[in-house]
Amino acid sequence: MRIIIVCLLICFTSNVFTQNCDAYKRQGEIKKYEACKKQKEAYKFYQFTKEYQELLDEAIQIDSTYDNAYWAKSIAYLKSGDFLSWKPLIDKAVELNPQMHLGYRGWCRYQFFRDYKGAISDIEEYERIIKDDIGYCQNGDYHLLIAKAICYKAIGEKDKAIKIIEDYLKDNDEESDLYNYYHLGVLYFERGDYNKALSNLEKQKESNNLADNRYYMAMCYKKMNNTNKYKETILEAKKLFEEGYLLNDPYTHHYDKVYLSQIEEEINKSKRFNP
Amino acid sequence: MRKVFYFTCFLFLFSCKNKKTEKVIYPRQVGDITYDVKLDNPNFIPCNGDDKILQYFNTGKGVEYRGGKKEIKDLFEKNYTHVKVDESGLIRIRFIVNCKGETGRFRVIQMSDNYEQFTFDDRITNQLLMITQGLDGWKEKENHGTKIDYYQYLTFKIEKGNLIEILP
Repeated sequence: MRIIIVCLLICFTSNVFTQNCDAYKRQGEIKKYEACKKQKEAYKFYQFTKEYQELLDEAIQIDSTYDNAYWAKSIAYLKSGDFLSWKPLIDKAVELNPQMHLGYRGWCRYQFFRDYKGAISDIEEYERIIKDDIGYCQNGDYHLLIAKAICYKAIGEKDKAIKIIEDYLKDNDEESDLYNYYHLGVLYFERGDYNKALSNLEKQKESNNLADNRYYMAMCYKKMNNTNKYKETILEAKKLFEEGYLLNDPYTHHYDKVYLSQIEEEINKSKRFNP
Repeated sequence: MRKVFYFTCFLFLFSCKNKKTEKVIYPRQVGDITYDVKLDNPNFIPCNGDDKILQYFNTGKGVEYRGGKKEIKDLFEKNYTHVKVDESGLIRIRFIVNCKGETGRFRVIQMSDNYEQFTFDDRITNQLLMITQGLDGWKEKENHGTKIDYYQYLTFKIEKGNLIEILP
């Protein structure tokens, strides 16, 4: 159910679905209205195609200050990993309309390029501009604050990462999202606080049961010398993995992702442990 | 003098015309790689022709490699030797995987930490390119029951000559 809600949220909050060209017309911005209509024509084509890019160039020719055209052009470059072509386009979109594109750019810098410091800088600047809820990342996996926490973890500031997630959960306890408790659990695990790690990983298990999560639960039991639970849980992790319950992103991989080979390696190790 | 004046006018008009008609020439799709006789192995052929090559994520399954992405990471960890230079940024190697899982048409782009074009020490790029070209576990992808050719890329995050992360 939560996944459906997140999907709907993405649909209704994404630029594509909220784009209403008539709004520009009502505000008397006729050039933007025409550029917007041209952008809608582009949407008949796949983002990577020549036709899509050419129609967006026409939109920019109509109004060179129409930010959405630069944003829309940038997507194929992002997805093809072409950072050199992506960056000037998304920068132009941000320059013209930071309220719309800055948080998105921050997320992309993390998701596609693991540019943690750049992502933190963008997200924090976005917080200063928005002064309210900064919302979710483009694929709906995380609130942008959680994405920021992951970036802090990646640059070694784990305590700060924990604080950001804990603070977020205090205000949004009912919305556990998809992976918040998982990342928090892994953070506590890495800090050696296995009770807190398990408590969060248990919450994750209740809300979104994943092989990755079960792997870290097993690792907590191992550290706590609970051999029976360790052995049992690591096997459960493999079962979940084989059933397809895992962190999954069609473009790239999630932070803290666990691979099958890691689980299998741990299963082999667990055979040497006697209760 | 008059000749110089007319010639200057001609150049001016010509440059105006060029600006007005200036149009970016795009490939069939962003990131397409055409065969280059000087760079590419002539024996590597996309099974369904150049105009039917998809992107790796088009089938919704992401990167598919024998043993998973961890296997790629492990291979680079094992085979990449640190180069002692103060160079950081990203290197992307894009290529085609054909319907048989064979690879070809490798292309490299590089950037510094601030997204500007950059050229890393050859010892870094050559190593990465050689290891990438040696990867032979790419899975054959299918779309609606047909085996496809697809574009794949690997992005390497380099910090002071160390390989610290591999994407996507």
